[in-house]
Amino acid sequence: MSELVRTYGRGLTALFVGLIVAWIVGLILVPQIRMIERAFIYEDRGGETAMLALEIDRLYTEKFKLEQRLKAGEGSGGGSGLPSPSLTPSPTPAPSLTPSPGLTPSPGLTPSPGGAGGGLSAAERVGAEARIGELNAQIAELEAQEDTSSGEAGMKESYSLDNFTTMSAVHVEIFVMTLLYALCVTVLCFLICYPVAYAAATMQSEEKLTLLMVGLVIPYAINELLRIFSWVMILEKQGILNWLFDALGIISMDAGEGFRFVASNGAVFTVMIYAYVLFMVFPIYNTIDTLDKNQIEAARDLGASVWKIHTRVVIPHAKPGIAVGSIMTFMLSAGSIAAPEIVGRGLHPDWFSQLIYRRFFEADSWNQGSAYSVALLVACVAFILVNMAIFKVGIRDIAK
Amino acid sequence: MHGQDVALKGVSMTYPNGFTAVHDTDLDIHAGEFFSILGPSGCGKTTILRMISGFIDPTRGRVAIGGQEMNGIGPNRRPTALIFQNLALFPLMTVWENVAFGLEARGVGKAARRKRADELLELVALTGQGDKKPTELSGGQRQRVAVARALAVEPAVLLLDEPLSALDLKLRQHMRAELKAIQCKTGVTFIYITHDQGEALTMSDRVAVMNLGRIEQVGPAADIYNAPATPFVATFVGEQNVLRGRVVGRENGYACLETPLGRLFGVDNRGLSDGTDAMIFVRPERMRIANGTGDPANRIEAEVERRDLEGPFVNLFVRAGSHSLALHLTNSGTAGQEFTGIQTVGFDHGDAVVMPTGELARE
Repeated sequence: MSELVRTYGRGLTALFVGLIVAWIVGLILVPQIRMIERAFIYEDRGGETAMLALEIDRLYTEKFKLEQRLKAGEGSGGGSGLPSPSLTPSPTPAPSLTPSPGLTPSPGLTPSPGGAGGGLSAAERVGAEARIGELNAQIAELEAQEDTSSGEAGMKESYSLDNFTTMSAVHVEIFVMTLLYALCVTVLCFLICYPVAYAAATMQSEEKLTLLMVGLVIPYAINELLRIFSWVMILEKQGILNWLFDALGIISMDAGEGFRFVASNGAVFTVMIYAYVLFMVFPIYNTIDTLDKNQIEAARDLGASVWKIHTRVVIPHAKPGIAVGSIMTFMLSAGSIAAPEIVGRGLHPDWFSQLIYRRFFEADSWNQGSAYSVALLVACVAFILVNMAIFKVGIRDIAK
Repeated sequence: MHGQDVALKGVSMTYPNGFTAVHDTDLDIHAGEFFSILGPSGCGKTTILRMISGFIDPTRGRVAIGGQEMNGIGPNRRPTALIFQNLALFPLMTVWENVAFGLEARGVGKAARRKRADELLELVALTGQGDKKPTELSGGQRQRVAVARALAVEPAVLLLDEPLSALDLKLRQHMRAELKAIQCKTGVTFIYITHDQGEALTMSDRVAVMNLGRIEQVGPAADIYNAPATPFVATFVGEQNVLRGRVVGRENGYACLETPLGRLFGVDNRGLSDGTDAMIFVRPERMRIANGTGDPANRIEAEVERRDLEGPFVNLFVRAGSHSLALHLTNSGTAGQEFTGIQTVGFDHGDAVVMPTGELARE
């Protein structure tokens, strides 16, 4: 700290520290804590509380209707001939916290024409007023019982594991399959990236290396969505790949033939590998690049086969890079939503991230969505730890 | 284990960028000898080594080991083993695994590997160090691990690429003796690449001196030092006083050279004709203070400029005209303090070598 102050002065140091604290607390800790908290809060939407809220709403509705009728009667009784001032504030202050759309007909917006609701007899008026009084008493009584702790009417919140335990069997299956899919993508990515990284790291010619690197990096200058859509263009039934098969005479597109590449695991995997290949290539490239190339030559000189050179010399050295690449690829593909959504088109088995999205925004159950997110997070952290144990690398090696 | 001979016939190596590292070279290395290739950096010695080990094939000419044609055969299938300049030990393996790596590559079982590794570690005086990691060893010990690792594959030819250059002086001198001892014990042909003449001269049975992709001289260490064949060899190996002149005659088999410092005589093995531009080379330790004794010829009047005491001997630097000459005198107890002012320095006819003008080694 004093080092920082000496280098940058008090003002800048305060700014740095402030930004870092804001970042850690505001952007990492608080949202995560809130997410985890929500995951462990169960929202009961169908229990007693909900019934109570419904009952209160019903009473309010009845009361409102009666009041409307009374008002209409007054208007015609006065005989002024003018429509009652329609913009007077509604007499019902809607004490229930829910605006209950649909249940409350917009009051006062319809100018009640004289005579339509009029003609209430005095006895009826007295009866109605008595009923309103009765309703008020009932409402007050029920509202006293109402549990408003959740901040939302009809919803009872309590700390519990229900958000996790009520996950349906289908969802659990999707969860497990997503992890398996992500693992597949990671392994495939490694198989593709390792030779590329090795070739790049051992390349003699600077120019070729630059060319290879530029070739690898350029696609990443393009938005991820565009990259995914370009794959859709390729894999479409009317797409480039089928067109190519057509040109080769394997299929006839005119006759309506064509492979449905999209909406399959293969297509989703392909697109994901393409999307995350760089996150695997660069960590591996960086570690192999630090390997003393004489070691490769020494192994060769001692009679080692290509397989032996890689399994005994290159891969052990590249372990931290492989671990980092695997972690990044796994995390990204396990949490990916765009690729399965766009390429899968709902026809291919869901990824868990799609499920989380739907929990949040379609089922409108943020707490359950949070629980699902936390489950995915825990799975990913577990993957990191297992990965580190398998590759026998510590945080320090990864940081390098 | 026993050594095989290595033969290079008309070998040239031109790299893809057009640089020719080795020009049309012939070299015969005998089975079981300690052979050094000595030369400044960039002279092509490492290229020759890589051609023998099989990492590169010559663009022209043939390489044969034990009479067998080697062109097109990879390093893993040649009876050679290479010790790298930086040793290239495998840092993630233990010492014994390093030593046994060549056997592992040949599919030898673990128990047999371990046994052989221990034997080799004993050979290089590292008994009991097998389970350490290479990084836990000292520089000299690592050196010996590299030797053991190379010997494990029972090579007929061991190639060493300046393996001692990273060690400090004491250790280097010690390792020279060790390498020589290991070579004698195993009988393997050692081909040793170095730019350090001390290493080449102390260890080798024979030495080849290279410059600019060509071998200038091959011979026993004593010949290289005492009877250099070219001006380059004369000046690259050891120190020399060099004077340019012109051959003006011959006397008792010695060539007489007219130089700016007078007429000087030296050994001429080539029979240079009169009028040839030539150089005369005299080693500083062959020079002496004349003091009116000895050969009356080969005398130069010179003024003492500097005197450096190096313990057993004294370096005397004298100036004659525009020429600077060096003398290495034995310290006879006075540290050469009596040599001041103008002195007469000289040398015997037989201690000087006369050669036609040619390229000298740069300091």
